[in-house]
Amino acid sequence: MAEPYDVIIVGSGAGGGMSAYHLTKSGLKVLMLEAGRDYDPTTETPMFNTNAQAPLRGASTPDKPFGFYDATVDGGWEVPNEPYTVAEGSEEFTWWRPRMLGGRTNHWGRISLRFGPLDFKPRSRDGMGHDWPITYDDLAPWYDKTEKLIGVSGAAPPRSLTNTPDSPPGCLMENPPPRAFELFYARAFEAMGIPVVPMHGAVVTQAMEGRNTCIFSTPCGRGCQIGANFQSTTVLIPPAMATKNLTIITNALVYQVDLDASGKAKGVSYVDRVSGEHRSATARVVVLAAGSGETARILLNSKSAKFPDGLCNGEGMVGRYLMDTVGLNVTGQFPALEGLPPTNDDGMSVEHLYVPWWGYDKHKELGFPRGYHVEIGGGRQMPSMGLGRLIADDEVSVGDALRAKLRQRYGSIISFNGRGEMIPNDDCYCELDPTVKDKWGIPVLRFHWKWGEHETKQAAHMVTTFLEVIDKLGGRPIGKVERDGKKAISKGGEMIHEVGTVRMGASDRDSVVNQYGQAWAVPNLFVTDGAVMVSSPDKNPTLSIIALAWRSSDHLAQMAKRGEL
Amino acid sequence: MSDEQQPYVRKIDRRTALTWIGVVGAATAVGAGVVVYGPKIGGKTPGTKGYGTDPKLVEPAPAPWPRLLSDGELQAAAALSDFILPASATAPAATALGIPDFIDEWISAPYPDQEKDRPLIRNGLKALGPKPDAAKLSALPKASPDFFKRFRYLVVGAYYTTEAGFKDLGYIGNVSRATDPGPSAEVKAALERELAKLGL
Repeated sequence: MAEPYDVIIVGSGAGGGMSAYHLTKSGLKVLMLEAGRDYDPTTETPMFNTNAQAPLRGASTPDKPFGFYDATVDGGWEVPNEPYTVAEGSEEFTWWRPRMLGGRTNHWGRISLRFGPLDFKPRSRDGMGHDWPITYDDLAPWYDKTEKLIGVSGAAPPRSLTNTPDSPPGCLMENPPPRAFELFYARAFEAMGIPVVPMHGAVVTQAMEGRNTCIFSTPCGRGCQIGANFQSTTVLIPPAMATKNLTIITNALVYQVDLDASGKAKGVSYVDRVSGEHRSATARVVVLAAGSGETARILLNSKSAKFPDGLCNGEGMVGRYLMDTVGLNVTGQFPALEGLPPTNDDGMSVEHLYVPWWGYDKHKELGFPRGYHVEIGGGRQMPSMGLGRLIADDEVSVGDALRAKLRQRYGSIISFNGRGEMIPNDDCYCELDPTVKDKWGIPVLRFHWKWGEHETKQAAHMVTTFLEVIDKLGGRPIGKVERDGKKAISKGGEMIHEVGTVRMGASDRDSVVNQYGQAWAVPNLFVTDGAVMVSSPDKNPTLSIIALAWRSSDHLAQMAKRGEL
Repeated sequence: MSDEQQPYVRKIDRRTALTWIGVVGAATAVGAGVVVYGPKIGGKTPGTKGYGTDPKLVEPAPAPWPRLLSDGELQAAAALSDFILPASATAPAATALGIPDFIDEWISAPYPDQEKDRPLIRNGLKALGPKPDAAKLSALPKASPDFFKRFRYLVVGAYYTTEAGFKDLGYIGNVSRATDPGPSAEVKAALERELAKLGL
């Protein structure tokens, strides 16, 4: 396809994939630049492989931090040749990046919860955080469309729970029935007055046109060869390619937005990660969807006479308001689940149930302003190297006694994972490191991180709650339980929900982009990834990234139709 | 367990063994499944690499790093593996599933968790000797508790991640299904009995 393109999209994950899908279907010629290699889930997914077929039985290593079979290519907490730094005096921050077509959508957890009405207006609610320039009602139709397109399970009768939207009829498919461990833990939460509801997962659980249905086996984190869950590479990019309006260049690491004499974006510069050659591409519009960190880095590295501190950074806001999700785990072992008859607990990989935040009217007495939901794993999962945890250190059994104990306890472990909202604060941001550069000489990001008391108190509450649940269920926690929220809380970035470095807002004084992700300073530059988020609710961000990207892309396509580009 | 344990023979193919030799030149392949190691074994092997950040996933290649266990250590690992999981009436012994080879793969790997295990496991195996008798094995949990626990942890993980392990444990998943019917009436009834005991 000959240049110039109408649109260059940087990134191919949730935001980039959705933007490409809608813009190509709207008739625009799109060039997608992906920093990683080409990736084909139909031939590269180790669907039914057992751990015994993998080196080290599939155990986690620095090369594959989530285990050998995790879909992530050329990445993880560190990417070869592409360092980042954490500022002196900062709390820990860690940054997960893949280098593959489809980005993190290939391995993500598939949890697909809508943000609720309160999540868009936190400052109006209690004076903390910042309001979005849109309301839930503005995004609701795009959530509907997104759920119908990508395939989301979790249909249930409306519950009208606070700030936990029910999807309209026809948006969601039904989950498989809860597994034994889910029926079990639900009873304890319910006894505490806490509702347990179907999880929303981006898994096709019922017949859906154009898609394969889940085969209720194999972990989604390996990716899905049959495209029964949502990956950009199976759900968004193939239909975009079918329009013949999409060109993809992989191994293209974009580091700069190029401007013309009038200050409008004319394209981008990138380095070929394989050859090391520097190249550029031009288009009428540039869309950044490289992930919150990388998108901010591109803007900060795009320096010119008009933008000496980086593009769109006149107010110093690029890289600011960086947020993640609060994460915390307590795991328990439950004698009541021992010795249950063998059952196939593989399920749809994503949890069948979850616990939405239940304390919206109790924050004053709780002493922390924002809530969390609970993701709960367990059941008779495919055995891994961790199976030995079933035997306590002081047990000396071997032989038939050991076999019997393992059989007895297998499937009796439940893992409780709190996922909570973080309020943005002035100590959490990223900027360019003044000295460190990547292999190609491009300045890298330096992160600054400090959890607020709002988050560490919330984390402490998670521990207390999970211990109470474990106790009610007659279980015992495994390992040492840390009750100090400051020590128990996850590292910054560890939940891989980093958002908010290029936030949207009502004016150029409090934000970098408008409600459509359109840069205030450069009208033909858009951002369609998690960078635009103004708050980081407990709900996992991917579904909202897709819905926002669709809404922004539609705005862009309408502008193009009206000849405004 | 038979009175006289047969020597353990590595369950690896010649091609793999030659790959390791190519890397370190420390061992000699004398035929399929038989590798004789030189005397210098241990510590960090300079230049040893892991499988990298983009390994083939559908048909994984054998772990590329050279193996470090001496034959004496390997024989000790075999004896201890079968002390922990000897054949049962329905399931094979640990050595029949190649668990000693896995122990070798694990402690030889150039990754932090495995490098941490390496001295603990190798020193434990050296102390055990290539032909430990029943009394020495039985005394091990008290004599060397850290070594025993970690070795058992590795054996349990390695054993139950195999198909034979799945069968022994009662893992019946990893099969394609048109629907997921959820737990059976029998499972639900058993669960209700337990919940009733807990007052739930």
